[in-house]
Amino acid sequence: MSTATQGAQDIAAQGGAGNGSTAPAVLEIDNVTKRFGATQALKGVSFRVHAGEILALVGANGAGKSTLMSIVSGSLTPTSGSLKVNGKEAVLGSVKDAAASGIETITQNVDDALIPDATVWENLVFPQIADNRFGAFPSVKAMRAEAERIAEGRLDFDLNETVRYLSTSDKQQVLIARALATKPVVLILDEPTAALGVQESERLHADVRRLAEQGTAIIFISHHMGEVAELCDSAVVLRDGAEVATFTKPLDTTAIVRAMLGDLADGLQNDFDAVEGREQTGKDGNPRKAGRVVLSLKGVRSFHGTRANDIDIHEGEVVGLTGLIGAGKTELISQIVGDRPLISGTMTLDGKPYDPHHPSDAIRAGVGYVPEDRSVQGEIPDWSIRENLSLPDLKRYRHKYGLLSFSREESAAQHVIETLGIIGKSTDSIRSLSGGNRQKVIVGRWVSAQSKVLIFDEPFRGVDIGAREDIARLLRKTGTALVASSDPEEILQVADRILVMSNGVITGQVDPATTTADELSQLIADEAGITGRNESDEDGNDVRNVQDAQDTRDKEPVA
Amino acid sequence: MIDIKRVIYKYGLLALFVLMVLFFWIASPAFGTKQNVFVILQSVSVTAIVALGVTVSMSVDGFDMAAGSIVSLSVMVSTATQIYLGLGAFPAIVFGLVSGVLVGVLTGALIVFAKIPDMLAALGSMFAIQGLSLIITAGKSVSKGNGYNGAPAKGDFDPAFLWIGSGTVLTVPFSVILMILVGVIVAVFLERTRTGRLMRAIGSNREAARLAGTHVGAYRILAYALSGLLAALGGIVLAARVGRGDVNVGSSYLLEAISAALIGFAVFGANRPNAFGTVVGALFVGVLVNGLTMFNVPYYTQDFVKGTLLVIALVVSFSKIFNTQQRDR
Repeated sequence: MSTATQGAQDIAAQGGAGNGSTAPAVLEIDNVTKRFGATQALKGVSFRVHAGEILALVGANGAGKSTLMSIVSGSLTPTSGSLKVNGKEAVLGSVKDAAASGIETITQNVDDALIPDATVWENLVFPQIADNRFGAFPSVKAMRAEAERIAEGRLDFDLNETVRYLSTSDKQQVLIARALATKPVVLILDEPTAALGVQESERLHADVRRLAEQGTAIIFISHHMGEVAELCDSAVVLRDGAEVATFTKPLDTTAIVRAMLGDLADGLQNDFDAVEGREQTGKDGNPRKAGRVVLSLKGVRSFHGTRANDIDIHEGEVVGLTGLIGAGKTELISQIVGDRPLISGTMTLDGKPYDPHHPSDAIRAGVGYVPEDRSVQGEIPDWSIRENLSLPDLKRYRHKYGLLSFSREESAAQHVIETLGIIGKSTDSIRSLSGGNRQKVIVGRWVSAQSKVLIFDEPFRGVDIGAREDIARLLRKTGTALVASSDPEEILQVADRILVMSNGVITGQVDPATTTADELSQLIADEAGITGRNESDEDGNDVRNVQDAQDTRDKEPVA
Repeated sequence: MIDIKRVIYKYGLLALFVLMVLFFWIASPAFGTKQNVFVILQSVSVTAIVALGVTVSMSVDGFDMAAGSIVSLSVMVSTATQIYLGLGAFPAIVFGLVSGVLVGVLTGALIVFAKIPDMLAALGSMFAIQGLSLIITAGKSVSKGNGYNGAPAKGDFDPAFLWIGSGTVLTVPFSVILMILVGVIVAVFLERTRTGRLMRAIGSNREAARLAGTHVGAYRILAYALSGLLAALGGIVLAARVGRGDVNVGSSYLLEAISAALIGFAVFGANRPNAFGTVVGALFVGVLVNGLTMFNVPYYTQDFVKGTLLVIALVVSFSKIFNTQQRDR
């Protein structure tokens, strides 16, 4: 521990931050392999990370990123190969060993690493309590003082707050502060922005830059190419358990994507072109003719007491819904799909009144729902692809004596597997698939159920680019859909028009053909800023807010 | 390459069962006689039927702790119907089964509407129902010729009722046929019907099942009702075989039924409630007890042997020692 820390300080003292090529390599990964039973998850990966460097580790789901990072962070041991930290061979048998060598990891799911019912300060000093640093009868005063030292200048919220009630972003800040307390040589961030909104991501990026300037080597795992290009100094691309390419600044995202996907990339490129083509027609001022209204929402609210919204979704139209985390997207969607009771207003589907009191009502009416959290709300983990696909629509597979027909179920599953390009057999367990393929299964449910309207909440979270394209293609082909996402790039890729939401109110509408991801991010951030100010107003009945909503109403297309 | 741990995980318990049967057979020729086989199967039938009910409750990630007390209740209700009320076999069976279903629905309602954790709600039901079955007979056993609280008995056991416990069809005891029938029905129900599939979905991921349109509460109550029905059926078979209604006779069946269902998890590496595994689990316990009895192993060691067997089965099923499922890449 002490030597590792010393090393980090030496490097920082040299001022070798920022430029990877001149600074010494602090982490050397040399020909690391990992085998799980018959599966070769890593086929010999080698690369170096230098002090002050932000290195992006990218790859499609299943490429071996998680396995490699589990090895580097000590939770898995490699089958062969070596790791050197500051030039010294590191044997990492546990997460504690890794921490002692100066490697800290911020896990993708922040809740895995925190104790929800403990306070922020207790969580901050927890590794030290576990390490018996405070003795068997720890003094609250000493622990509190240590926690304050760790938090100083990093955490701007009350240390007595219970962690359960923090936002994802704040939880992440707690983890980062805790990781930095040991002055790590290498900090691994596993998809840290996957669950963050635009502003929160910006805050994290600033933090990461600052750490790199102070000499910490950063391994940054992400699916977002825009983020990688903007933030990282270099990028290592993994594919099928091997590193296939290394890039240095300036990063060419097209080349990175091609390296990630290999042969797939060519097909993908055509698809990107197809998107371009669609946008072209949009720019001609002749967007796709809006069909009849399929789903119409009148006077619905995300929260009690916020202004009501009207939304019409036309046949064949993919409506995007964007805004920061907490803007009220999920709250609105859960009312449309019968997960929560309607707060106010009315809905019609195909012109008929639509008032679901349970998800089954929504499904019967032809509304398919892909929930935000795939593993908690979507998957039946022990089941095969086939069983997961048929779940919402089992009535269709009943034949004699009310028994299920496996052959009918199988042929329906085959159809979905082909339509969405799911990589796996229908009898494979859904758990054996990569994140992207799992999501395709959840989406595929509504293909076989032949839903009229698809409601997707953050469908691309933790989904690799290849799978994202497959799902987007499905949406474009068959979709009458409402897609919520806080990622501007994703929403621009799939939507025919985009509604921007802030504090439960739709504050604007954007044409994806004439908007860039940066412009949309800016708009999302601005809208949040405006309503944020209104919120601080005691009345909450700000004139400006009303005006905004009125404008929105005017902008809504006439059905 | 054959993964030895995987083979042990999937077939270990089944192999152990076959080995045990072979061992007893070779060591004691009397073990393999048709007569003894039927003795074992008959003694297993009540446990297996009750365990199949517990399996249904487990399929929705529940745990019907009240099963044993439902056996007692059904024994008391069905015997009291005949002796105290003087009614025949048919009303006795119907009243017995209805009592079980009612307890199941009540337990399920406590879990779904009052949001009490499964185990605790069933534990509450268990104590209450144990008490209730005492009240029915004023704390006495129900037997031929003894009426309620000393009053003269109004009736006698219907021969048709007793036939359930001792009758045979083509030399095969009826209770054994009933056990096989119930086993097949539960297996088909859980694996091949929409209702069974939805119950298993609830057991695996309740929230995902709900969002996929399943009325979770209704199916959970139904699972406990079915568990209650089968426990009551077990009680009727037991009462018919013994020919009297003993106080708290069902309590020993709770442990055996739960053991059988949990041992069933380890059969074929299913690692989930399944009807076939449950029947094998019940046979496992039955054969072991029968074999040990033949070897004159004292009766008071039985609970220890059964408990140890359960622990071994749980280790095979739940620990990571044998279950080397591949982790995510």
